Amino acid sequence: MASVETNSDSLDVTQVINQQIITKIKYLRRFNDAISNHRDREIYQLLDNQRYAKEIEHREQQPNDKGVMNLVDDLADQLSNYLSENLIKYLGKTYPFFYYEEYQTGHYRIYFGNWWNRRQFGELDVLNVRFSFDQTEYDKLRTAFELARDNKRYNSDRISKISSENDRLQDLIDHQREREERKEALQEQLKEISSRSGIWESSRNKESRQELVEQLQKLEDQEEEARNAAQTIKDNERVVLSLSKENTILSYEQKSIIDTFGSFEDFELANRNLYANYLASLNGSEGKQVDDDEQ
Amino acid sequence: MSNNRIVTSPSERVQALSDSFKDVLSLGQKYVDLLDQLAQTKDAKNLLSAANKLTKMDLANAFINFPPHYKAADYYLIFMDRLLKMHGDTAVNVAENELNHEFEATVAAIGGEAIFKFEVDSRGEAAFTEQSQHEPLFYLSLEDKLMQFNNRALVNYFIVYALKQHTDLELRDAVKPLIDFAKYLQKDLDFTIDLGILATANDRRFMLNKPELPLTVIDRLFVATADEDYMLMNLPRNNGAELLLDQGTKLDIAFDPDDYSQEWAFLVKDSDEQVSFFDVLLHYDLVREWYLANRSALAVRTDHMEIVDEESPATTEVAEDESSDEVSSAEPSEDPTPNEEE
Repeated sequence: MASVETNSDSLDVTQVINQQIITKIKYLRRFNDAISNHRDREIYQLLDNQRYAKEIEHREQQPNDKGVMNLVDDLADQLSNYLSENLIKYLGKTYPFFYYEEYQTGHYRIYFGNWWNRRQFGELDVLNVRFSFDQTEYDKLRTAFELARDNKRYNSDRISKISSENDRLQDLIDHQREREERKEALQEQLKEISSRSGIWESSRNKESRQELVEQLQKLEDQEEEARNAAQTIKDNERVVLSLSKENTILSYEQKSIIDTFGSFEDFELANRNLYANYLASLNGSEGKQVDDDEQ
Repeated sequence: MSNNRIVTSPSERVQALSDSFKDVLSLGQKYVDLLDQLAQTKDAKNLLSAANKLTKMDLANAFINFPPHYKAADYYLIFMDRLLKMHGDTAVNVAENELNHEFEATVAAIGGEAIFKFEVDSRGEAAFTEQSQHEPLFYLSLEDKLMQFNNRALVNYFIVYALKQHTDLELRDAVKPLIDFAKYLQKDLDFTIDLGILATANDRRFMLNKPELPLTVIDRLFVATADEDYMLMNLPRNNGAELLLDQGTKLDIAFDPDDYSQEWAFLVKDSDEQVSFFDVLLHYDLVREWYLANRSALAVRTDHMEIVDEESPATTEVAEDESSDEVSSAEPSEDPTPNEEE
């Protein structure tokens, strides 16, 4: 019935297919060989030739071969697990303050530090040799570094605000007796003034009566606040503790980064160059452990 | 029949009086022999035996009034002094107070104001006690061969009180002869000793008085480290925290992850096993301030050894020994007559 119109190109198509299959087989053979010998550097080259050419060989504009690139896509998790072994060993030395947890095959959570109250800080992208930091947490750290220049901490302002609020509340509690005495005196005055009121109450009398009532109301309000003050102070102390905790976490992180990199800027620079530096560290030691060529 | 009959004959009465004197005189002879032994023996075991008998000796007697003599508390102190001197240890100075004729001890490192005496309670338990604060630093039982430090008293006296007047090094030197005394007791006389928070073994756990510890208490230590060079780390099995101190010394506040009860305890670890929890409290302001500010939650338990835990067996034991011992030979003088007459 329906027949495909053949033309002279049919031979070329077969050739194209065969050519492509040979390329793919060659790629997979090379891949297979690199995996067998743990030549991680070559694996990274096979995974992203364009980036490898640019960052390692400094050759620009080397496009990736789309025909082979996605052949191992469905192996991403396993490859990540495989490549993480040497990468994490390397990071253990260059970023001694990061800890990793493989929460599922090939997926790694980063923890900043192993101290009390350490926090999760993002994930490790093994195939791309980069950190993908949790943006919120990362911004806190950046801000902490900026504030440190003015000898301030991330939560200093909030802590001092809550602390002075607590001082004020404590003051309310401490002055309960004075308040009561004042209230009695005011009530006495009010009684006296009220006795002089009536239809012909002078406007001045009326005014001071109003004033007394207002003052009494103010004392009542303070009384009410003082009644809840003890609990509020406790709640505030809890908040201050958690804010101080965050400050301490950030100061541990800052210390770690300064100890290892000297400054936050140098830390960021190292992050940008991680791919190149890591692959360079694998240079000439293909198939061997990272341990051997470090230092 | 009645006692009247016994005392009718003058010769019998004289004989009874004479017998009583004989008992008292033999008691007196025994007493001075023990005093000689306590003062002169060069053997730790003889020293212990003399001190133990003297502390239990009752010289009260209807017939003879012994000249001024020392009390049980004094014999404990003399015993301590002599045992230390046997080892050439002179850090503790024991002397008789000329006014009340009681013996008192002072410790070289902290000068003469701190005066120590043994205080003996009604159960016969002797406590080495500083006199101005009345803190019983350790308990001593010569009978049961037990020596135990009191953690609460050690903290109250040295960490809270004495540190206001003395440096940490002076106090460390002041505690040292007490620890040495414990070690001599153990080595020479097979005492069971409990150094409490003065113990330096790395695996020694100091259980908290309260088994439950709110984690906010550990948070407060963490927060306090923000301005310090010491860091508070997580323990690998999430069973507590570890404070990294100088020269590799570590203070853990942790529970045993394999123990179902998960009771919190302090541990101090250092490469030479030379540092005790007491030392950490003494040297590190950070730890001391945190510990004292949160003491209701962090207080270390004092496990009182058998002396008190088994109160009734301990007392019966003492009673048994007394009746079989020659020391009580004064007593029969009062009741043998009716027996003999029956």
